[in-house]
Amino acid sequence: MKNVKAIFRLIGLYFRLNLSSAMEYRGSFLLQAFGMALSNGSFVFFWWIAFQQIKGTIGGYDFRDVMFIWAAASSAYGASHILFANMNAITRLIATGELDTFLVQPKDTLINLLCARTSLSAWGDLAYGFILMALTHGRDAAAWGMFLLAIVIGGLLMTAISVSAHTFTFYFGDASLVGNMAMEFTINFCIYPEGIYRGFVRVVMLSLIPTSFIVHIPLKLARNFSPLWLVILLAVSALYCCLAYCFFYRGLKRYESGNLIITRM
Amino acid sequence: MKAFRKYWTILRISLQNAFVYRSNVLGGLVFFLIFMFVFFNLWRAIYQSGEVAGYSLVQMVWYLCMTELIMFGCRTGIFSQMNEDVKSGSIAYQLNRPYHYVWYQFFNALGGMVFNLLIYGLMAVIMAMIMVGPIPGFNFATLPLSLISMMLAMFINFFFLMALGLTAFRLEENTAFYLIYQKLVFMLGMFIPVEFLPGWLQAITRYLPFPYMTWAPARLIVAFSWELFWSVVPVQLLWFGLSVILSMAIYRHGVAGIQAHGG
Repeated sequence: MKNVKAIFRLIGLYFRLNLSSAMEYRGSFLLQAFGMALSNGSFVFFWWIAFQQIKGTIGGYDFRDVMFIWAAASSAYGASHILFANMNAITRLIATGELDTFLVQPKDTLINLLCARTSLSAWGDLAYGFILMALTHGRDAAAWGMFLLAIVIGGLLMTAISVSAHTFTFYFGDASLVGNMAMEFTINFCIYPEGIYRGFVRVVMLSLIPTSFIVHIPLKLARNFSPLWLVILLAVSALYCCLAYCFFYRGLKRYESGNLIITRM
Repeated sequence: MKAFRKYWTILRISLQNAFVYRSNVLGGLVFFLIFMFVFFNLWRAIYQSGEVAGYSLVQMVWYLCMTELIMFGCRTGIFSQMNEDVKSGSIAYQLNRPYHYVWYQFFNALGGMVFNLLIYGLMAVIMAMIMVGPIPGFNFATLPLSLISMMLAMFINFFFLMALGLTAFRLEENTAFYLIYQKLVFMLGMFIPVEFLPGWLQAITRYLPFPYMTWAPARLIVAFSWELFWSVVPVQLLWFGLSVILSMAIYRHGVAGIQAHGG
């Protein structure tokens, strides 16, 4: 319990530090966030055109459903990259030996390295989800509840997927391509209706890259609430995150320091 | 003739570099595969109800393969290169060299574009054949004409990206322009054929350069007609000329303000 408290305190400290550092460059921060929100917004246009053309559902989803998964995926991605932006740099940190710095500090290595960097444009992703929800779901309390839950669960799962993929660097050398592919699959499985995928891909979405638990099951719960599915959602997400955490520490045992001298300012 | 030989040498070297560092393209191929796989699934679901806006599923998949091919073919990093050269000041070292900076950048990127077109083109054809098979009624005799349109599309995109990158001479932060430009290319031709857009938007779009960067060549590949060819290629030539003039104008305007202090 004490450890969990320490982890939350560390995340909070890094968040405050990263935010105050971003605020030093307000112009760049706002421009990047705005640019990202605008960039995401263009996809609403794509879906509007697609639904105009077919006048029905795509993969079992209507326009509002697609907007829900877009909002949840965007905000979850934003939240994870605001708090844990280093998730995409794990391979680089291992390969260059920069991991040494985190190993000698009296904090949880994985959490410490994940939180050490933030992404400014991720604020745009986070804000975009809320704007989209407000525009397409108004005061739908069930949808808002599941959207907020999806941000927390989705953010943690996206981080866990990225950590797992980059951890392969401990075993096979540079796994940046695996890490980038995992993130690309995660995003693409999240922002399109689940029904467009079939067979093996659906199995992957429920296991290896559990994107169904990031947006698609929260959507189902928002439309038809089921306590059983809520418990499954929470249990599977917690299990996946724990496995990713253990996998990283197992891989870490194989790490060999290059005695690189680094100063963190 | 001498000037041409100089740029021909630059092109030759850039082509050799592209082949030597061919492993760099591996990551791109993986992402090309991912995008095509996702879009194939998406459009297959959309086409459950039959033909959409005059395109069959086969045509639509080939259309997307071709627009993705053009975009991946244009992955030369010219926008970030311009930004980097201008912001770091390294452009100053290139001003006194015996070539025109803009043309040097073009021919230096051309080798990579040709290489990308070959590699991604092969991948696009294999993917499309596996997913939906050949285009019904495709005529190989008109392929060179479609390829001309494709090269023009890539050149237009290249020079507009260069012009955007060169705005760094006057603007400290120009990434927002790049993001907006990129999304206009995506939405006005790359992801959605122009025929899918509402009538009022189609009318506006035809006066913009964006559909001529993706829609025009892709449409020529999937449904070639001489009427279409003669209606799009002259417009592409016009946009190509305008994009070159725009790049040159921004470059000249920017270079006039450079102050070098040795070093």
